[in-house]
Amino acid sequence: MIKKTIIEQKKEKNLLIVLSLIAIFLSYIGIPGIENSVIMPNYFIALIIPFILMKLGNLNLYKLVIIGLVVDVFVGQLLGQYAFIFISIYLADYIVNRALVIKSGKQVFTLSFFLILISFFILWISSLSYSIFTPPKIILFQIILTAITYSILNVFINRSISR
Amino acid sequence: MAQKESKVKLKLFNRAEFPLFSFFILFILCLVLMGVDYRYQILPKIKSEFSIITAPIIYLINLPKNILNESKDSFITKAILKEKIKNLEQTNYSLSIQIQENVLIKSENKILRDTLRIKKKFKIKGATAEIILPDVKNGFKILTVSKGFKDNIKTGSAVINNEGLVGQIINTSKTYSELRPITSEAYAVPAIMNNSKENVILFGNGNGGLEIPLFPANISIQINDTFITSGVDDLYPKGIKIGRVTEIKPTNSPKFNFIVITPFSQPTTFSQITVVNKRK
Repeated sequence: MIKKTIIEQKKEKNLLIVLSLIAIFLSYIGIPGIENSVIMPNYFIALIIPFILMKLGNLNLYKLVIIGLVVDVFVGQLLGQYAFIFISIYLADYIVNRALVIKSGKQVFTLSFFLILISFFILWISSLSYSIFTPPKIILFQIILTAITYSILNVFINRSISR
Repeated sequence: MAQKESKVKLKLFNRAEFPLFSFFILFILCLVLMGVDYRYQILPKIKSEFSIITAPIIYLINLPKNILNESKDSFITKAILKEKIKNLEQTNYSLSIQIQENVLIKSENKILRDTLRIKKKFKIKGATAEIILPDVKNGFKILTVSKGFKDNIKTGSAVINNEGLVGQIINTSKTYSELRPITSEAYAVPAIMNNSKENVILFGNGNGGLEIPLFPANISIQINDTFITSGVDDLYPKGIKIGRVTEIKPTNSPKFNFIVITPFSQPTTFSQITVVNKRK
């Protein structure tokens, strides 16, 4: 088993904190040029997925619940909503990793896209403004933007850690 | 420098058993939290408590955007203002046209309503038509009406509108008719004064009015007295308003006065009229 040094662990934790602050910052401003403020990526889902997939920051279920509750206070609609999403991502990742061997970049991206879809599904069914007639286009845009944000974050996190 | 090794059990590539019990507990906790929050609205209260911290952050985050928007409003260009004025003028113009149309429709509506009321009052049966063209034939003023014998309009029928007597149909074709107005020189109608039983005949003077050349001087008559149809000729329904007295002149004979009457009805183009069915 490859063990991480304390410096590496601290680095990952600091990275998580910094990126979380940036996510909070970005979630309060819309995308320039897009009038509809609903069309924006879900930065927290895009941030947590690479940390869970790459087993960074020494995250476990309890830490994910606490992070989720903090996120709920800032941008959530219901207390426990994001905590629920994060532990669901954790569970889905565990199940997939038990059943399949995820090695290549394409596999990782496919898995992450699958996790994004699960997250949005939970977000949709637990939303206070739940409506079966929610415009599918908006959700599709959000999913695509979240996937793009995830890709950018994934590259950024990999480079930051490998330094 | 040697790096200190972590004593914490790392999760990288950890294939340990899934903490199912913890997951189950947390899963239930999250559901309970969501349910309780939905029921008691806890999150808004927490957010309001945290607003002391979050509000300044949100304000600072949105500050550049707000400044940009405010500066855009402040430095709105002259061209934009001109364009706005132009658009408003166009809107104003189209609205003024609509108002005119509405006034016309309102007026027509009133006339039609009044026409229908007259029909009910006097039990007049007839066809409603419209004056489409004023004309002069052989020195007489003639009005063209939009309906002809196809619509059961017959020569000699009386024509009225909501204001009173208009004239008489003198010629009909399939789709239109010609109407001689009561003010025409060749026009005569039996009438009575509103407040007396004296039968008289009114003649058109060809100058926008009617007249009685020889009105008995012993009959009391005053300015603004009104004349209505007497109905003695079986052509015009009884009681249709004709006009009011506007002038009383003495004649060469002291036994008679010359009376000038201004008609109530002065139909113009596109006004509505009713052609009364001739009595059999």
